[in-house]
Amino acid sequence: MTNHPIVQEATQEAGQPADDAIHTAYDTTWATSQIPEQGPMGSERFMLAEDKLFVVLAVVLIIWAGLALYLFRTDRKLTRLERALEERS
Amino acid sequence: MNFTPNINLTRYRIALYGVVVWMTLVILGGFLLDIPRINILEHTARNLYFHVPMWFTMLAAAFVSGYQSYKVLQKNDLIHDIRAVEASRLGVLFGIMGLITGSVWARYTWYVGTPIWWNFDPKQSLAAIGVLIYGAYFVLRSSVDDPEKRARIAAVYNLFASSTLPFLLYVVPRQLDSLHPGAEGNPAFSEITHPIMRLVFYPAVIGFIGLFWVIYTQRVRAAVVEERLAQREDQG
Repeated sequence: MTNHPIVQEATQEAGQPADDAIHTAYDTTWATSQIPEQGPMGSERFMLAEDKLFVVLAVVLIIWAGLALYLFRTDRKLTRLERALEERS
Repeated sequence: MNFTPNINLTRYRIALYGVVVWMTLVILGGFLLDIPRINILEHTARNLYFHVPMWFTMLAAAFVSGYQSYKVLQKNDLIHDIRAVEASRLGVLFGIMGLITGSVWARYTWYVGTPIWWNFDPKQSLAAIGVLIYGAYFVLRSSVDDPEKRARIAAVYNLFASSTLPFLLYVVPRQLDSLHPGAEGNPAFSEITHPIMRLVFYPAVIGFIGLFWVIYTQRVRAAVVEERLAQREDQG
């Protein structure tokens, strides 16, 4: 990348301290182009919205899914036991 | 080997209703209590109420199953084997839920803007090892056919498995560099954790352990019925 120094303009705005010069553009590429800011992509577009509240939602849903999985496992076990009981009687 | 199941159903029902009401309040408090927004964390700080209790519950489950395994060796009773298995099953469930929730939380905070879901943070890796150690417990159990032998061998292994867990989840990760609070010997509640969050966090820990206890008792009840049926089958 090549730098293109801008000639410091002599006329400074009134009342502006000299050490503020660092804020003036040093590079024409920098001065003219937009800062390449990429917005959140993919799942982040959703997850980072609302101050990342949806991450908490995802975590709660994962726990809920885990517990639901266990509910179904217990249910399957009880069904098996009921069948075994019926076969005996 | 003896088999003397004794389940306190009254206590179980009180715990069941209590836990349902308690956890409803915890979830409401977790979402509605206003907390300061910290950079990067934002609202995900609320995951403290859901992700961290997973590990407390896993530890509680490991403690219960370790205690029951000790009882297997001491009393020679099959009911303790059943209790040890069901407790460690739930411990693994909570451990896996802790791993997945932690992975999702980290993806949108520590590793935001990168596609990283898993980065071998010491706490993460050691927790995964803890889950694997428990996985070996179930493999070991399923490889022995004789119920009596199975109960004793599994109990001995489980005493080892449950005693490693406090070290894997707390002692060792604290000595290592980690993104988790509580690393390098710091207190687990860092200075960025607002004191008001304790108001929901501690009830959440109690609530999840209570939830574990209820599901655990439910599973033990089913397993006891299964064992009774099997014993009747044997008698003809």
